[in-house]
Amino acid sequence: MLGKGGKRKFDEHEDGLEGKVVSPTDGPSKVSYTLQRQTIFNISLMKLYNHRPLTEPSLQKTVLINNMLRRIQEELKQEGSLRPMFVAASQPADPLSDNFREAQPAFSHLASPPLLPADFVSTMPLESCLTPASLLEDDTFCTSPAVQHDGPTKPPPPALQPVKDSFSSALDEIEELCPAPTSAEAVAAESAADDSKAQPSESNIHKPEGLLESRTAESKLMDPLPGNFEITASTGFLTDLTLDDILFADIDTSMYDFDPCTSATGAASKMAPVSADELLKTLAPYSSQPVTPNQPFKMDLTELDHIMEVLVGS
Amino acid sequence: FLAGFGSLMQDVLWCFSQVKGTIDTGVTESDIISTVEFNHTGELLATGDKGGRVVIFQREQESKNQPHRRGEYNVYSTFQSHEPEFDYLKSLEIEEKINKIRWLPQQNAAYFLLSTNDKTVKLWKVSERDKRPEGYNLKDEDGRLRDPSMITVLRVPVLRPMDLMVEATPRRVFANAHTYHINSISVNSDYETYMSADDLRINLWNFEITNQSFNIVDIKPANMEELTEVITAAEFHPHHCNTFVYSSSKGTIRLCDMRAAALCDRHAKFFEEPEDPSNRSFFSEIISSISDVKFSHSGRYIMTRDYLTVKVWDLNMENRPIETYQVHDYLRSKLCSLYENDCIFDKFECVWNGSDSVIMTGSYNNFFRMFDRNTKRDVTLEASRENSKPRAILKPRKVCVGGKRRKDEISVDSLDFSKKILHTAWHPSENIIAVAATNNLYIFQDKIN
Repeated sequence: MLGKGGKRKFDEHEDGLEGKVVSPTDGPSKVSYTLQRQTIFNISLMKLYNHRPLTEPSLQKTVLINNMLRRIQEELKQEGSLRPMFVAASQPADPLSDNFREAQPAFSHLASPPLLPADFVSTMPLESCLTPASLLEDDTFCTSPAVQHDGPTKPPPPALQPVKDSFSSALDEIEELCPAPTSAEAVAAESAADDSKAQPSESNIHKPEGLLESRTAESKLMDPLPGNFEITASTGFLTDLTLDDILFADIDTSMYDFDPCTSATGAASKMAPVSADELLKTLAPYSSQPVTPNQPFKMDLTELDHIMEVLVGS
Repeated sequence: FLAGFGSLMQDVLWCFSQVKGTIDTGVTESDIISTVEFNHTGELLATGDKGGRVVIFQREQESKNQPHRRGEYNVYSTFQSHEPEFDYLKSLEIEEKINKIRWLPQQNAAYFLLSTNDKTVKLWKVSERDKRPEGYNLKDEDGRLRDPSMITVLRVPVLRPMDLMVEATPRRVFANAHTYHINSISVNSDYETYMSADDLRINLWNFEITNQSFNIVDIKPANMEELTEVITAAEFHPHHCNTFVYSSSKGTIRLCDMRAAALCDRHAKFFEEPEDPSNRSFFSEIISSISDVKFSHSGRYIMTRDYLTVKVWDLNMENRPIETYQVHDYLRSKLCSLYENDCIFDKFECVWNGSDSVIMTGSYNNFFRMFDRNTKRDVTLEASRENSKPRAILKPRKVCVGGKRRKDEISVDSLDFSKKILHTAWHPSENIIAVAATNNLYIFQDKIN
């Protein structure tokens, strides 16, 4: 689970999650409420997307889990409505902070739920954001709802398109530089990240079995569309959804897509590789701009170096 | 101890009577019992399992020579009701697990029951054969045709006694009417129709017609993305053939009148209890999902089971139940773990006794609970092999909720969540109960004095 080293043991975690109902208005227990909510969100995602039964999954169960996810999302949206959402790539009023924010999605998800903009992260030094452990230590994440965005205020754009632009471009560039981490891995990484984060992340190459299994399941989700339709049709419930709807519309898991800190070449070799091109093709309908592999890379090169170090080193 | 059936304030001591099933510690998945049901007289007790089999037990005649063996249940018939199938369109298996069995009232010498898996309902006829015809003219005793030119004498075939044989034959197959998983079947009081309910639709069938059914409830939204609620159980009123109820995953019950419209999308009554704000949590919706709904024998009340409670509703009062019983409230603080291991989705059933004075439902650790509606007393009992000496009186169990654990109590953390009692049945007129504990069927009776 979240937390550094030995600080958060399993039973402590239990205490944090179980026991009395924590309402969002409690002051000091806001941390545990957010933690509880985040954990439940992760568990719910895992249940929906890691389960590949031979028989049709229970529609009742799927509906209840989906309602849970939606409720949490709604809550987060309301909390996040005080601050601007992700800045559209097409509105580069402040390129640097844009880039900064776009760089954050990969990491801020580790401590915060999706849809929360990375504004509070922008107050953090870049280095700490790159290291998930230090990121998770910082309690300002969990108690940050009142923190206002420092940068220029922008109206909340549609949640989908700008994120994908930066994501797809970032992913593409990473892909070019380092073939090991694939989008499939990235998507899978977060959903099982709870288990992996339970241990201290002194080593970024940390591969619990559950993570591998979930990655495999997630990589199947990243398969070209025909396979996806089969999966979605088989749930019965998600008949009309495409993979993109699942990932990016209804439940915005773009925050979970790329996590270089838990990926490594070792695991990559076991994955069914999904080319970034295929991913880009699926993302194309959602982009406000035509997405081309040659889109200028928005990230700072130094950030990229940091990422590379994390990926390859340690 | 509970008030007994019928008369007031008679204490009932429950005793072990029988257990069916293997003692092996390793449980074959297909042997897991998935439904239990007495017939209308209590003479027969049917079980369905995950392997698609139906086993029917028959109560033996009480004999004066052995008064202590008060009508034991012995295997009467076993047959394979459903087979696994494959849905080629979705590339998914269709489980053969029997979700529900419902008996038809007996109208002749044969017994009829409905059994269903996720997709197909079948009407089975169970009949006895204790005579066979002998002395055919055109075929010999082995069934081989005789050469007509060799026949010189005509005779009339006669019926000769034979060893009792119980045959089960599928008389009707009601298929291809459900896109989603069937969770309930219910025989109408007119004995001519029955309904089958899946997650989103309820269909009305005539027993004689298998290629057609009427859709009477449809809650499927035009856009499946907007789906937030499913049907979880449905049942006909025991006396009014036009009335039925269905429950939902949001903890609501709708009572519908089929006379009002062909499609009963508009309920006649809507039962929902307002949420208790002090108990609100992330899991409020999930634990409010109703897993079973049962009319009382009188038809005046309905009982619902959600994850933590059993509720009794008066049909004339829609805004809240008249009674609420806590089954295992000590689980309220464990909901996150139970969500993680999926136990929170377990579907417990509930049953009335014959006089509607006592209700029973299952729990974990092979515990089951009974609530006396008159005395408001409740008891927790356990179905286990340790308590399985003949006529051994069941000792009440208690779960310790923190603090000092007394000698006989069991702490919440020691509960075995893999031992869940989801299915129980109560004899229609006597204090005999059947409790399904995974792959074992326990039969308990009240003590004979």
